[in-house]
Amino acid sequence: MTSYLLVRSLSRRLMLGLLASQFALPMLAGRVQAASFDEIKKRGLIVATEDDFRPFEFVKDGKPTGFDNELIEDLRKYAPFEIKQEILPWTGILAGVSTGKYDVAITAAIITKERKQSLDFTSPIADATHYYVKRKDDKSISSIKDLNGKAVGVQAGSALLARLPELGAMLAKDNGKLGKIVEYTSYPEAYQDLALGRVDYVVNTVINLKTLVAEKPVFELGQPVSGKSFPAWAVAKGNTDLLAFLNGFIAKEKETGRFAELQKKWFGEAFPNLPVTFEPEF
Amino acid sequence: MSGGDIAAIFQGAVVTVSLSLVGILIGLPIGLGLALVRWANVPIAAGIVTLYVSMLRATPLVTLLLLLFFALPNVGVPIGPISAAIVALVMNTSAFNCEVWRSALMNFPKDQYEAAQSVGMRAAQRFRRIVLPQIVRVSLPGLVNEMSLLIKVTPVLAVVGVVDITRAAVRIGSETYEPLPPFLVAVALYAPIVFALVSLQRWIERRQVAAEAAA
Repeated sequence: MTSYLLVRSLSRRLMLGLLASQFALPMLAGRVQAASFDEIKKRGLIVATEDDFRPFEFVKDGKPTGFDNELIEDLRKYAPFEIKQEILPWTGILAGVSTGKYDVAITAAIITKERKQSLDFTSPIADATHYYVKRKDDKSISSIKDLNGKAVGVQAGSALLARLPELGAMLAKDNGKLGKIVEYTSYPEAYQDLALGRVDYVVNTVINLKTLVAEKPVFELGQPVSGKSFPAWAVAKGNTDLLAFLNGFIAKEKETGRFAELQKKWFGEAFPNLPVTFEPEF
Repeated sequence: MSGGDIAAIFQGAVVTVSLSLVGILIGLPIGLGLALVRWANVPIAAGIVTLYVSMLRATPLVTLLLLLFFALPNVGVPIGPISAAIVALVMNTSAFNCEVWRSALMNFPKDQYEAAQSVGMRAAQRFRRIVLPQIVRVSLPGLVNEMSLLIKVTPVLAVVGVVDITRAAVRIGSETYEPLPPFLVAVALYAPIVFALVSLQRWIERRQVAAEAAA
């Protein structure tokens, strides 16, 4: 009986220890720094890209393509070290960069105040003013004020969601307000629901929506629903050497005209007046 | 949807099947081992196993996977997406398998075990000849159930960049803006995979019945 009791109390202590380790692990995770630029030069640069964010990055016939993927091809020639690419869904990308799993997120991450607390952003790669898109046959929407009370689809955890209050303020001028907000893990589902009539409009960046309406004429592009907004590549906070290196690459691509060429190819227009740095208000 | 797209979904199917198989093949014996530790009431170890099983049964697979993938490198264990996926699958399925095996062990008639002891069989012999064949038969439906759940839970592995059937379908949908055709192909692929597993179960069961009839 005593031995039984001993076993019980031992296992209880173990249980406490194991429980404590559950809390210790995230604390350890918070303290670790991202790889320095010197380490990156030795082991190669690990870039993370998305797989379902057309036209920036997507997969066609099993191969990554899009604006950012073509830039990565150029980056391979530009960089004096190896470039290793990891392709994964949006969900894990920024977390992976801030924990040092990846060195840079080469995707269209919109620069926001909140994200700037844990990440640093390169020069903007495009104009990402937010627009709404609606069904072409939906005659009830013809301008911003018609969006009053209508259901909107937007990506969960996105900058677009965070800046919906801006649209709310626009609507409030005509005594309107935002309707139901439906959040999706990614945009393809939001577009599908828009087509099915489960939401009345979807908010995304002008580039994504232009590509969408060009491909799917059942949708129609609306008007801007936000102020200035820019997407950029993200590195871990304080990784200034890597940031300078990437900004140097972007500046060179702009200079040679390659940047404008790729923007025209993938977005349908070039953005010649992009700022070199951007301080977000939101 | 192009031919390349269909090929991409089939490539996803290869990933789904191989990761599930690896998960099952490693998770099955580990589950049995855990169940035996609890059944035999091994001091200390039995308590740890109880804790391990209840903790893992309470942890969603996707959470466990993200924890392994993002936290392990920070404590000095580099882990890639595929290995993180396998470790998470094995940890998850072994906990559930343990309980299926244990239910069979708990119902195992003690007198048979004692009879085997009395004819001088050693522990390993008793286990291999008397216990194992009988608990396998009792556990099989529950284990196959858990295996088919494992196959269908593989889409969560996509969060760390593993491209399974569903992720391949999502990618195609976002490229063509037509999500329905790739999803239909995806659904049509899961059915035969699970059906193959169930057929294997039936085949094993039939063989056992035939073996008993012969005895």
